[in-house]
Amino acid sequence: MSSSDASAHAGGHGSDEHGGNPHLAHHFDSMATQNHASRLGMWLFLGTEVLLFAGLFLGYSVYRHFYHDTFRAASHHLSLTLGTVNTIVLITSSFTVAMALYAVKKGNSKAAAGLLVFTILSAVAFLCIKGVEYHEKFQEGALPGKWFHFHEMQGFPAANMFYTVYFLTTGLHAFHVIVGMAVLIWVLRRTIRGDFDKNYYIPVELGGLYWHLVDLVWIFLFPLLYLI
Amino acid sequence: MADHKEKHQGTNEEAHEHGPGRYVVIWMALLVFTVTTVVTGHMDLGAANLPLAMAIATIKATLVVLFFMHLWDAEGINRLVFVVALVFVMVLLLGVFGDLLTRMPEALPTGAPAHTLEGGDMPSAHEARPHEPHGE
Repeated sequence: MSSSDASAHAGGHGSDEHGGNPHLAHHFDSMATQNHASRLGMWLFLGTEVLLFAGLFLGYSVYRHFYHDTFRAASHHLSLTLGTVNTIVLITSSFTVAMALYAVKKGNSKAAAGLLVFTILSAVAFLCIKGVEYHEKFQEGALPGKWFHFHEMQGFPAANMFYTVYFLTTGLHAFHVIVGMAVLIWVLRRTIRGDFDKNYYIPVELGGLYWHLVDLVWIFLFPLLYLI
Repeated sequence: MADHKEKHQGTNEEAHEHGPGRYVVIWMALLVFTVTTVVTGHMDLGAANLPLAMAIATIKATLVVLFFMHLWDAEGINRLVFVVALVFVMVLLLGVFGDLLTRMPEALPTGAPAHTLEGGDMPSAHEARPHEPHGE
């Protein structure tokens, strides 16, 4: 028992020993330790992402607190239908990326690749819908800061601030969607190449975590922007 | 022996591995909560609208974090990292709103409605002074 344990550990120290995972870096004791470290690093990064968005949510809260009626009126000019569709798109893509990780762990790379393709297409759909919304705002002049010239919101104090917050939060979020898409395309490429199996799936897991964060941010943005 | 070795190599999340059924259930729950928040968002519940919307969003986020992101069965340190980030978000919000809600009326930004102040019964600077156009 102990000898088999020892060999499992020693496998990590040299690639020539059989049983060693080729993905195990030499400074880690075992795949478990390496996975643990990778995961911790990702969660630390996600913590900083939460704080990044928290700053914008704080700005939103302060302006909404002072200009509640303005925010309420401005919110009604956003398309609730498109916002709801986008919420469903993101939630579903979050589900499929979780399923992709599950498929990889079960050794089913084909299913994982299919699920990742669906997730990436969802990201494209989300950006297209967001683009339609943005285009509408551009046409109306519901723009941030000094570019604001939206006649329907004339007479409301600080009406431009709603659109400033709207474009900053959804813009930063859309940027995260693009980054997440790029990460998932890379993960998909490696999945098709057959890099992942039940012994090595950390890139799928961490790429998935990033995608879930994109979903998380939207879960809060949606009611705060569209449902005032 | 082989059994033991596999168990040892497998990280602890594999010990808690659930079938795809759990993901489907969470996905359905998220869709139901989305519909709920859209429907209740339409209703005029007065002051209850915002807390309700935030409560639903928090439940949805918790489901995603615990089950899609596997924090439910992740190593404890990952949970600690994420919770600490959330605690600091709360510190940020509480600190800023602690300031805003206890301000003198004179410290309000131009054009902000006076009722946004805690001491709304105090004579409002907003009414006392002419509307200054440079705010926006």
